[in-house]
Amino acid sequence: MSALSSSCSALLCCIYSAPSPFPRTLRSHSALSVTHRMASAMELSLLNPAMHHHGIAAKTASHLPVLPARRGAVRFRVRAAAAAPPAPAAKPGSPKKRGKTEVNESLLTPRFYTTDFDEMEQLFNAEINKQLNQDEFDALLQEFKTDYNQTHFIRNPEFKEAADKMQGPLRQIFVEFLERSCTAEFSGFLLYKELGRRLKKTNPVVAEIFSLMSRDEARHAGFLNKGLSDFNLALDLGFLTKARKYTFFKPKFIFYATYLSEKIGYWRYITIFRHLKANPEYQVYPIFKYFENWCQDENRHGDFFSALLKAQPQFLNDWKAKLWSRFFCLSVYITMYLNDCQRSAFYEGIGLNTKEFDMHVIYETNRTTARIFPAVPDVENPEFKRKLDRMVDINLKIISIGESNDMPLVKNLKRVPLIAQLVSEIIAAYLMPPIESGSVDFAEFEPKLVY
Amino acid sequence: MVAPATLSLRPCATLAPSRAALHRAHAHAGFAPASRPALSVSCPPTRFESLRRAATAVSDRQGSAEPSEKQEEKSRTYYFLVANAKFMLDDEEHFQEQLQEKLRLYEERSKEQDFWLVIEPKFLDRFPNVAKRLKRPAVALVSTDRNWIRFMKLRLDRVLAEQFDAETPEEALASNPAELKFDKPDKWTAPYPKYESGWWEAFLPPKSSNGTA
Repeated sequence: MSALSSSCSALLCCIYSAPSPFPRTLRSHSALSVTHRMASAMELSLLNPAMHHHGIAAKTASHLPVLPARRGAVRFRVRAAAAAPPAPAAKPGSPKKRGKTEVNESLLTPRFYTTDFDEMEQLFNAEINKQLNQDEFDALLQEFKTDYNQTHFIRNPEFKEAADKMQGPLRQIFVEFLERSCTAEFSGFLLYKELGRRLKKTNPVVAEIFSLMSRDEARHAGFLNKGLSDFNLALDLGFLTKARKYTFFKPKFIFYATYLSEKIGYWRYITIFRHLKANPEYQVYPIFKYFENWCQDENRHGDFFSALLKAQPQFLNDWKAKLWSRFFCLSVYITMYLNDCQRSAFYEGIGLNTKEFDMHVIYETNRTTARIFPAVPDVENPEFKRKLDRMVDINLKIISIGESNDMPLVKNLKRVPLIAQLVSEIIAAYLMPPIESGSVDFAEFEPKLVY
Repeated sequence: MVAPATLSLRPCATLAPSRAALHRAHAHAGFAPASRPALSVSCPPTRFESLRRAATAVSDRQGSAEPSEKQEEKSRTYYFLVANAKFMLDDEEHFQEQLQEKLRLYEERSKEQDFWLVIEPKFLDRFPNVAKRLKRPAVALVSTDRNWIRFMKLRLDRVLAEQFDAETPEEALASNPAELKFDKPDKWTAPYPKYESGWWEAFLPPKSSNGTA
């Protein structure tokens, strides 16, 4: 159990890049040139095992690379300018201590992943793995080639106008939102791009799908980065590529984590989109209008990971798979909930109740995930939400200790019991009776199922 | 049904660049009229025209045969997924988004529609083993694009998949009358309203072949 709890916190911090809801557009603008630099940097860092790190390392600070936007004259670093405290009142780590160029990578910061590419190659070698359903991959390839959003990510003057109108705390929150989302999309781009490159020989179809998904992610990240330029800022993605730490996950964990990441991303985007469609008075920034088409990309990406998992039934059909499935679901949901509750000003700014929004996203993602994962947590049990809410309270206490004026040693001593509480809540949530689930393609009861 | 010869000069409608699309692109200019008088009158030719044309050119991709001029009048294969109407039209809201996205794309690219929703499809009579496992009314997603249907199976999962050959789209997409009414969900957690009932009408086949629209 102690092994579980330590990996639990490690995973919590690893997974976050999933729930960020922003993906897609590169083409124009500085992003392109950045991409090139980044691609080479990526190869260095993705392949260097020394870059791997596990959970705790996430706490170390790193420099977040932000360039002044080309057109903007203002010399701000994104974090320094806008993001210091995500929501004015609440954020882990002390804003006071941050220099202009320094950012805290907290447990919940979006993350970059890397994986064991050799193992990936083996997994998708049709010679070795007879389970590969090549038909399914052919079908996916056609779907990705269709490129539904080829012409979707085109900006208009509304963006700049809306950005100029936004002032004060809301402006800060928005910048942070764009930045986190851009980072998350960009991390998808890096990973998929590299997988596309590495799998080319062993499985050209799977490789091409990865490349097409990296196309989508690049568009998404680029579009977000252009959003930042409305605020006279831009993320230096090249620097980011080099400076960020990469979290190493074995392939099977990449599958679980990215599946969830894509599906939860879909649910976040579509929920925001539909909410704003119904309540246009909260439509404060035009990027949300793009979400409907945008998130269909996320959903498709998730489908691809679903096919990857099906092609590796060993990741779906035993008791270990069930434990890991529940674990990843929980990690993603909890991370999102804690994160969003720290930034409730953002969600309230667009007219959402943060907790209701998150719970809806969790319910829906869990229902979707139950189509493939062999077990999922019973999130609709009211006790689950009560546990989440207790975690939020504990997390806020931990944060406020960080912001106090106590000596570091005292802070740590004060944190210990709270962290223990948080861990025990997480474990208790993990031990709640799960729901057995999975694709009907694998279900033993399938012949009896009524559709 | 008689298709004017000029139709075949128009661009063929297919889904993405697939091998099938290539075949279609090479398809013969002009073809003999199929002889299926019964349902043809009320079917707007625009919606099926290239399908007909394609039908003559493309057979199952698995099938080896390159289409030849002599095979033109042959029937073509339809692929479908089927489940109860509540699942297809009420529960799975992302499904609507997907269909609408596809329709938008077809319009942007001037492609002719090759996918439909069929309520209580008549073709279920051919599949007693499928039919007996369905709650009714049932709704099928039908397309001539095998790959796309396979992709949709992956997405929807809780559906049954099959395929059949039919001589004409009217025959393939015929449906029995059925009334669709869905109860409001007991628990609605979303901060937005549900999609309006009836969204599916845009995806039903042209009227004559559908009993319910």
